[in-house]
Amino acid sequence: MAREFNTPGRNEPNVPSNTITYFLKEALRRTWNSKRTSFVAVAMIAISLFVLGSFLLLSENLQRAVERWQGHSRVTVYLNPEVTPDEQRAVDAFLAAHSDLASRRFVTRQEALQRFKSYFTNLAEVAGNLEENPFPPSYEIEVRPGVAQSAAFESQIEALRKLPSIDQVEFDWEWTRRLRRIIEMLNIIGIAAGGVLAMAAAFTIANVIRLTMMLYHEEIEIMRLVGATERMIRGPFLIEGLLQGTIGGIVAVAVLAGGFFAAQRTLAPSSSLLWGFLFGCFLPWQKIVLLILGGTIAGWFGSWLSVHERREEA
Amino acid sequence: MIHFYHVTKRFDRYSTALHDLTFQIDKGEFVFLTGPSGAGKSTLLKLILRQITPSEGQVVVNGRNLNTIRRSALPFFRREIGMVFQDFKLIERMTVFENLSFILTVLNVSPREHKRKAYAALRAVDLHNRMNSYPLQLSGGEQQRVAIARALINDPLVLIADEPTGNLDPDMSQDIIRIFSDANLRGSTVLLATHDRDLIRESGRRVITLEHGRISDEKISVAERPAARGDNVFGMATS
Repeated sequence: MAREFNTPGRNEPNVPSNTITYFLKEALRRTWNSKRTSFVAVAMIAISLFVLGSFLLLSENLQRAVERWQGHSRVTVYLNPEVTPDEQRAVDAFLAAHSDLASRRFVTRQEALQRFKSYFTNLAEVAGNLEENPFPPSYEIEVRPGVAQSAAFESQIEALRKLPSIDQVEFDWEWTRRLRRIIEMLNIIGIAAGGVLAMAAAFTIANVIRLTMMLYHEEIEIMRLVGATERMIRGPFLIEGLLQGTIGGIVAVAVLAGGFFAAQRTLAPSSSLLWGFLFGCFLPWQKIVLLILGGTIAGWFGSWLSVHERREEA
Repeated sequence: MIHFYHVTKRFDRYSTALHDLTFQIDKGEFVFLTGPSGAGKSTLLKLILRQITPSEGQVVVNGRNLNTIRRSALPFFRREIGMVFQDFKLIERMTVFENLSFILTVLNVSPREHKRKAYAALRAVDLHNRMNSYPLQLSGGEQQRVAIARALINDPLVLIADEPTGNLDPDMSQDIIRIFSDANLRGSTVLLATHDRDLIRESGRRVITLEHGRISDEKISVAERPAARGDNVFGMATS
């Protein structure tokens, strides 16, 4: 009669020690043997990660620009052109009393006019012919980084606005706040688009692996009959998907870096005011690793889908 | 070693390959399985390798009930069986050496041992000088011998062969039978399916004859009775 059956898997290794080399050799050989289909899979992964990487790169540079500008945040307080010396002293006293607003500089109407003339030389003559100086006196206040986001600071600005001699208070970080929102949107769009494309790429890899498995159907059957474990049979296919995904990730990063540095060299110097800030720096190494790892995971997931669905076929 | 208890195998309602088969092959036995085409020989061998499962009855091999064996345990069970397939089942893209080396990889034999073991197995079938050839560069008989070498490479507990001499000339057939006999003397239980009545007649081994899926005859061939033969526990020829 049948004796109590030991579980061989507990006593014997499922994957022999020399199997990792076998997995790798087999995966590389199969990838090479089906070059065209493998190329499609790698290209799909590369395209999806390139799209994701482009969004990440754009948001990275915008983010850095925003941080740079926020380091020099400034509030401009425009006074009524008819402001009296007493009213101006009251405003000055208010600013001096609040430490966040204390770093101030008074700009007279005359100085404002001079600045205009120096910035816009073509219009200097027109400005000089005006009967009356149209520029109001103002205070330029340097705000320390991080202060502008605080609720206390906003309430101070509100109180400042209520002073009778104040015409207007301008923040230059309001639009950086809008820019931040745009960056968030870009990140979301990038991740969503990259995610959808990566899924499509994973399914492409799944199909490629499925085709390869069909191609090696007889070999798989022989392997099963001579006692190869499922892990040993599936291992090379999983490694194949993993390799394709990783290669796709590396290609995406390489193309992205190539395009970025070429654009930085050719476009950025001639248009530094318009979009020069977009070519500040390439992705940090963490994000590069993340992109390549994304390819690896997508590849592995694709091949896992294929081998999992064909597991029951023996 | 191999026990069949009232085994029936039906492929569909109209096609029954084996009918209520009961027999036993003891450890160390050398048994011939014979019968006309379509008698159920290959089906019986497939049941032993657990390529298929019985519709009714129990198959127990080396103490393992193949009806209840877990899927995860199947590869480890199959590693104890050396099988020579009728269609050889060699991997065409691999050389003769690689076909054998692959089995050793599956069995977790150190790569340093592969060449020595493969050479020894191929020498036994006189193919040690064709190690780097591909199966398609070999004749049918040579492919058959590679398949035998592959089955023997790990000194299996059970050696099963489906028409292993089908592509060989009489001299080579005798050589092959000698190889199986040597494996039997080393301790392997051998079950050999063949049409070749001359081989069976001269062997002096136990013979199970199948006809229409039933055991029609079970006897010892006319030559002297081999020492390794075990007793039939059922003590009868089941029909």
